[in-house]
Amino acid sequence: MVSPDFSLSVADCPLIQVEAWDGTLGQFESSLSAALGTGLPASVGETVRDKNLLIIRVAPRRLWLALDDGAQAPSLAIDPDLGCSVCLGEGRVRFSLAGADIASVLSTCIAVDWHAPTSAPGRAVQTSFHHVPVLLLRTGETSCDLVAPRSFARSLHDWLADG
Amino acid sequence: MNVQNKRLPGGGRIDRSYPVEFSFDGQKMAGYRGDTLASALLANGATLVGRSFKYHRPRGILSAGPEEPNALVTLGTAGRREPNLPATTLELDDGMVAESQNRWPSLAFDVQSVNGLFAPFLSAGFYYKTFMGPTRRAWKVYEHFIRKAAGLGRAGTEPDPDRYVVRHAFADITIVGGGPAGLSAARAAAAAGARVTLIEQDFLLGGQLLAERSDGTAASWLNQVEAELKSFETVTLMKRTSAFGIYDGDVIGLVEQRDQVGPPRTGEARQTVTMLRARSIVFATGAIERPMVFANNDRPGVMLASAARTYLNRFAVLPGRKIIVTAANDGAWRTAFDCAAAGAEVTVADPRAAPPAALVAEAARLGITVRAATRIVDLHGGRAVRGATLAGPDGQFEAACDLVCMSGGWSPTVHLTSHLGIKPRYREDIDGFVPGAFPANRFGAGAMMGNYAAADAIEDGHRVGVEAASFCGKSAPAPAPSKLDLGETVTTMLRDVPSAQRGKAFVDFQMDVTTKDIELAHREGYESVEHLKRYTTLGMGTDQGKTSNFPALSAMAALRRSTVPETGTTTFRPPFTPVAIGALAGRATGHHFKPFRRTPMHDWHLANGADMLEVGVWMRPWFYNQSGADVNEAYVAEMRNVRQAAGLMDISTLGKIDLQGPDAATFLDRVYANGFAKLQVGRARYGVMLRDDGIVFDDGTTTRLAENRFFMTTSTAKAADVLSRLEFLLDTAWPELRVAVASVSDEWAAMSVAGPKSRAILAAAFSSLDISDEALPHMGAQEGEWKGRALRILRLSYSGERAYEIYVGATAGERLWSHLLEAGRPFDLKPYGVEALGALRVEKGHVAGPEIDGRTTLDDLGLGRMVVGKRSGFVGDVLRRRPALLAPDRQRLVGLECIEDGKRLRGGAILFLPGSKAHGHGRGRITSVTFSPERGRYVGLALLAGDVATEGSEVVAVYPMKAETVRARIVSPVFLDPQGERLHG
Amino acid sequence: MLRIECPCCGPRDHDEFRYGGDASVRRPAHDDPDPEAWYAYVYVRENPAGLHREFWQHVIGCRQWLVVERDTRNHVVSSVTFARTSQA
Repeated sequence: MVSPDFSLSVADCPLIQVEAWDGTLGQFESSLSAALGTGLPASVGETVRDKNLLIIRVAPRRLWLALDDGAQAPSLAIDPDLGCSVCLGEGRVRFSLAGADIASVLSTCIAVDWHAPTSAPGRAVQTSFHHVPVLLLRTGETSCDLVAPRSFARSLHDWLADG
Repeated sequence: MNVQNKRLPGGGRIDRSYPVEFSFDGQKMAGYRGDTLASALLANGATLVGRSFKYHRPRGILSAGPEEPNALVTLGTAGRREPNLPATTLELDDGMVAESQNRWPSLAFDVQSVNGLFAPFLSAGFYYKTFMGPTRRAWKVYEHFIRKAAGLGRAGTEPDPDRYVVRHAFADITIVGGGPAGLSAARAAAAAGARVTLIEQDFLLGGQLLAERSDGTAASWLNQVEAELKSFETVTLMKRTSAFGIYDGDVIGLVEQRDQVGPPRTGEARQTVTMLRARSIVFATGAIERPMVFANNDRPGVMLASAARTYLNRFAVLPGRKIIVTAANDGAWRTAFDCAAAGAEVTVADPRAAPPAALVAEAARLGITVRAATRIVDLHGGRAVRGATLAGPDGQFEAACDLVCMSGGWSPTVHLTSHLGIKPRYREDIDGFVPGAFPANRFGAGAMMGNYAAADAIEDGHRVGVEAASFCGKSAPAPAPSKLDLGETVTTMLRDVPSAQRGKAFVDFQMDVTTKDIELAHREGYESVEHLKRYTTLGMGTDQGKTSNFPALSAMAALRRSTVPETGTTTFRPPFTPVAIGALAGRATGHHFKPFRRTPMHDWHLANGADMLEVGVWMRPWFYNQSGADVNEAYVAEMRNVRQAAGLMDISTLGKIDLQGPDAATFLDRVYANGFAKLQVGRARYGVMLRDDGIVFDDGTTTRLAENRFFMTTSTAKAADVLSRLEFLLDTAWPELRVAVASVSDEWAAMSVAGPKSRAILAAAFSSLDISDEALPHMGAQEGEWKGRALRILRLSYSGERAYEIYVGATAGERLWSHLLEAGRPFDLKPYGVEALGALRVEKGHVAGPEIDGRTTLDDLGLGRMVVGKRSGFVGDVLRRRPALLAPDRQRLVGLECIEDGKRLRGGAILFLPGSKAHGHGRGRITSVTFSPERGRYVGLALLAGDVATEGSEVVAVYPMKAETVRARIVSPVFLDPQGERLHG
Repeated sequence: MLRIECPCCGPRDHDEFRYGGDASVRRPAHDDPDPEAWYAYVYVRENPAGLHREFWQHVIGCRQWLVVERDTRNHVVSSVTFARTSQA
């Protein structure tokens, strides 16, 4: 039973995962940074926004490039000696949540401290939502996105909508 | 409607402008907002509120808090019925329906209480002696009778219509207890800059301050501090919330009751469980008053002294007019003073020869009779106490009374602090247990540390609040709290354990354990506290012995002629107070019990007559009801269609892993038992992985998409395990290998077209692709695009027929599925479900989950030939050669064919040799069965001892669950097309 | 519940992790043919009452395999590091 102070919408989530080999991270980052024309998030949980692209570090050597809906994917030619990329854009959905009740709704979904610096606006948190791995993107004071596997999307959506 | 004849005309923390109606055992009664059910019952003059557990003795209200052992009621009706709730903790709600427990036919007249009918059966050790020894068969005789006689309330049998929620929360500091110490700690910690959550089980803050007059200094202190706390945005006050357990990681389990007053809001939870993670915990849990032990001390009208004072000052209820207060400490005298001031006739019986002169003088001023060196030895009255026998310096005498207030001293509430294994420590000066040494981030304050006086608790709380904040790195200056001196004096308690009573003297009221039971346990050698507990069931009630623990320990210590610390205490475990299972489950019930995975074609299946089946976490089509009336008819029809024309199967549930890197081929060569390094680009290979111990782990196919890129599929069930295992090997064993693995299970919708017409169907569906046998041979792969989405076609077969696995971006899955069905319509392409899929693979002799069961080797499964030549260095290679895994009598895969007309084989049947007794584990078992349209009979796969697994001979399959015995012939597990010609058909 | 501080994600509930067994045993080289070495690696364990080094994977998170040092007597976790020593 969603309150009037909470809204929920679902969209596709174009996404590319890139990863450096152990030992080539520095070179990989310089080359990726140059290709994208922007800096990269330094540590896991940080994000960098560049126009319609959100770059998220999801593991020490792994980044997600999340595209705004409808945006053109950047052309990436990753040197196979430095790392690789794989498209994950078909298999994820993006829930957009907003409203004054968001912290209370999320408290029944994920064990993330809404007020901690690690989940402040601009941060990304990978966590468990009813045993399903999700990525929380804190988009604002009272808003966030949840990136979730497509196969689980309806179960999670029902859970959120019943919240 | 009862009149509130025990309610005083003024005072208390009740809202007289807000009258509330409720019913107890069908009788309408009235109370006020701010009452508990217990205070409202007392106000209405109800003294008898329940019957005891074993002896069905009449019981009244003993306490005013969660320690209540007697006044347990059942609340609500139908699906909302909830038993065993202490009336002392229930906030009175308009329309509340409460029932007493353990009585038949009525509370006032209970058949089973006559002469303690069952008493001889229910003495301590009865269960042990009767049911654990040579006479244990007696249980069968007595069980029905005991279950009927004993037991507490009855739960509802209908589904609970209410909503429960589990939530997560975080704080710098959690403070458990909203009495003077907890409030003071919260105030200090918040002032220092910490984020604080304060937990209070009551619906009012204040703890023992609520027993003080509602218009005095305690009340103004309370108002001031509560206002201060509410001024901090960083303070969360959780009332009506019980901390039921402390768990590893400084996680506190909380259960919060809905605000009982007013109608429920839509969607509001009746109870909410909060798992609160805190950096620091302050325990300010207070103390629980101890009863005194004398004959018939359980009569209705016997109350803890502090409880009587709480009912008087907080609820404006004077529960008696002729009161005996008995206590060996100064604190209880305040109950006598307040009751006398409210107009009661009060006698104080103090076992001490010379109670303090100041108390005696104040008593004299209030007209209280003081009897020094006097104790109660017996009580009279059945459903309500009528009088007492007292023993004083001049011998025994009788005194009339309608209320007895007792205080055997105080026990700090150390339950929660003990949950993580911190043993309580005995403090001689207070004759009680306080928490043992805390780790650096946990603190205790106030009465729970033995600092009983409000002034001390406030000071203690402030100090600890500052320390806890400092632990969290918050150290802004916190101004000292206002002083509150209630003038309580705290004296060393005189311990009071008289023996040789005339009647039953209760130690544990809820479990009906008396001093005689403790004596019996001692006599029979159950002296250790843990044995005492189990032998007598002491402390095993829903109240967890909150009032009984210390009196029992001191009784046992006296019998052993040792001290209380030598006797020790029992272990306290969660939950501190009972928690409904429904609250712990929260919303995870029904379709929310676990999240389901749905394939991209899920909605199509539903719309087209699929009967869905839960397969692990996935929902899969079991069969399509267009194929037949039931599953048995449908799967055979679906199989026939695959063998004769073509079938379409949703295989999106397969685990799919993307592997890339310069060392990907080397890596695969190590993780699969069969080699992959030489696999050509554009070709797929069936692979089997072993565990380190040489047992088969999983199977699947891996396709080489490019020199350094592979596409792996795993079984549906093992997808997560395989990915995690690959990551484990890369992170811990071979970090030098440059390989990236990523799950792409959700990326791809996957479907299989199988059957002799499958190539024609693909040709029709993908006009731009070359799917000739030259371009796409068996075990070949092609990549392409369909409607702008990535497409992969692998020519692989699970059913034994010519077949293609088609992978497309998940968002296009349903469109491609429909497109294929459309293109396949002229070729009789029809969808089939997992039942037919399983049957097809059994007929073809392919092993799957039932055979790859964590116990079988490659050789057991007939796959030993996959390890070619001198190949070594792969996971599990060394230990798979252990002699026991090579023994000739190990069970190995065989095919079975039913040879009795009209009978069937069943998975799980045990296999015996003809003529041998059908007893024990047999020589093997059937793992998978199907009806084979090809053979016209049931066939199955089985694991059978190698020394008897001779093709052509017979076995007997026994299925004890259905008392079936059927003869079967051992045959090759490949029932169909052993040459594999259909793959190319 | 156990809380484990992932070196890159911070403290998390144990149900975000997958247990991976004793981290103090040494895995033989992939081509080590010695059955005794493999036997020791797969089956021989210390089972200490006290500090225990064990593998956990932050599987619902960064997916990194970790080495956690946990006291088996009270579940106090004293250190958490990446199993892969180099992360650059």
